[in-house]
Amino acid sequence: MKTFWAFARQNFHAAAIYRLNFLLWSTAILILMYGIRWVWITLYTQRPGAFGVTLQQMVTYGVLSMAIENLFYTGPQYYMAQQVSTGAIDGDLLKPMDFHFHMLARSTGETLFRVIVMVIPAFLGGYFLLDLQLPATSQAGFLFILALLLGFLVNFHLDFLLGAIGLVTLEVHSIDWVFHAATRFFSGQFVPLWLFPGLLVRVADILPFRAMFFTPLSIYTGVLSGNAIAQAIGLQLLWLAILLILSRWLWERVQLRIVSQGG
Amino acid sequence: MIHVKHLTKDYRRVKRKEGFLGSVRTLFSADYETTRAVNDISFDINEGELVGYIGPNGAGKSTSIKMLCGILVPTSGEVTVNGLVPHKSRMENTRQIGAVFGQKTQLWWDVPVIESLKLFRDIYKVPEAQYKRNLELFNDLLDLKEFQNTPVRQLSLGQRLRADMAAALLHNPRLLFLDEPMIGVDVVAKEKLRTFIKEINRDQKVTILLTTHDMTDIEKVCSRIMIIDHGRIVYDGSLEQIRAEYGKQRTLVVEFEEEVQNFDAPHASLVKSEGRKKWFAFNRFETSPSTLIANISSRYPILDLAVEEPEIEEIVRTIYRGKSESPNMQVA
Repeated sequence: MKTFWAFARQNFHAAAIYRLNFLLWSTAILILMYGIRWVWITLYTQRPGAFGVTLQQMVTYGVLSMAIENLFYTGPQYYMAQQVSTGAIDGDLLKPMDFHFHMLARSTGETLFRVIVMVIPAFLGGYFLLDLQLPATSQAGFLFILALLLGFLVNFHLDFLLGAIGLVTLEVHSIDWVFHAATRFFSGQFVPLWLFPGLLVRVADILPFRAMFFTPLSIYTGVLSGNAIAQAIGLQLLWLAILLILSRWLWERVQLRIVSQGG
Repeated sequence: MIHVKHLTKDYRRVKRKEGFLGSVRTLFSADYETTRAVNDISFDINEGELVGYIGPNGAGKSTSIKMLCGILVPTSGEVTVNGLVPHKSRMENTRQIGAVFGQKTQLWWDVPVIESLKLFRDIYKVPEAQYKRNLELFNDLLDLKEFQNTPVRQLSLGQRLRADMAAALLHNPRLLFLDEPMIGVDVVAKEKLRTFIKEINRDQKVTILLTTHDMTDIEKVCSRIMIIDHGRIVYDGSLEQIRAEYGKQRTLVVEFEEEVQNFDAPHASLVKSEGRKKWFAFNRFETSPSTLIANISSRYPILDLAVEEPEIEEIVRTIYRGKSESPNMQVA
């Protein structure tokens, strides 16, 4: 555990070096938050009552979905690709630590940094400037944070799998691009899943992506309550378990490939 | 400490097809070619030895070191490091070894050296007392303090290698692999690193396997030398032994009092001539320097003379050249 925090701490500091990046990024997030709020207000003016929830709930959903974007951004796939292509992966394998664990520690550190410098400020900006509401109950707030944490872990494992596959196909960027688009769409970041037509809902239901945006956001906005929350979080846990096992299994094989081919 | 027997490593690589759409065709039906990087090598290294491991580029040095580190799986043969099979107990093995690869750093690029060292301390679970003691030792021997707060990306090459060396030794490994640890380093820094290597070998009884292209490193640091070429060990023995075996050739340098014609002495041939100075090469088992000198001085008056021993570098060059007829092994 000490090693975990040591890595997290170090990557936290490493992330802090590129300050200008984060400033620009925060600006981009603010623009997106403003944009999505404006879209929903326009749509509600045209067709009030067509979207199943109040305008306030919808604006909160939309603005918050942009504010938490940075929680799902620190996957290890690029690090893995870079380590293998430069041969630096040897250095990682030369240390007495589990690679998967090491990657999780790195992502956690960087994400913590992003939460502090981007997610929390974006949340505050949304609250003060863009009609972002607080959750109805403190219990909803607490469950929202729990769901976010699980969402982060699900996202990490998906990215880890992507990285591991990338080491075999030697291609990360284009796969990542498709994957990113699918993630954002099927997780309900832009459009809440309850507005999807029947077939797409079924697709979204069997994919793991909803664990990332949809579950925490619909808990926060009060769209889910009671048993539905328990069910949604249970589903997150199930996906996490599946992806964790899959990650360990795949990494074993990829690592064997690396050590038998010499990177 | 290290036991290697009939160790072989083949690399299998996809053979790219040539021409238009060649890479697309490679996707669907790939041909493989196998290259034998390490070919049936065997050796043992005992605790406390300081072994120089040399060979031309691509001879198989790094491949064999990677197998000893457990980050490469052998194709066949046995390898054990302090009783462990490295690729089977990779994590356990990494705790007993340290490694420095001169070409790439193991430190983290963006963070200060001291932060990297702290991370190594946590990864290897080094007790605080040992960490402090080692840090002090490295400060003394490597002047770490000078640059410990500088991010690795801003270090000079010499400083980076010193930092890498400290990181590799922080957990007191019993065995240290140094793969070209002094590549591109200036003379002063090199001397410092050599002294450091000798001291940790002597004082802490760390077994060291050193790869280098600089024969001075070997002469100044190592007691034993292993030469690998085309994946095979072509020489394994002490430095004196190699001199005795391959250093039969001596050169007698004579400066005459006056201009003389070029001539060959018995059992010695003229290899170089510069004005009144002549170089005669001879085999020291065929004739002795004194006979040769007597012979030459009976012909012309001598002003000055010296007998030159071959440089180790020269010897190694002879060995590489001697074995280079066998081309790189191609299997199926």
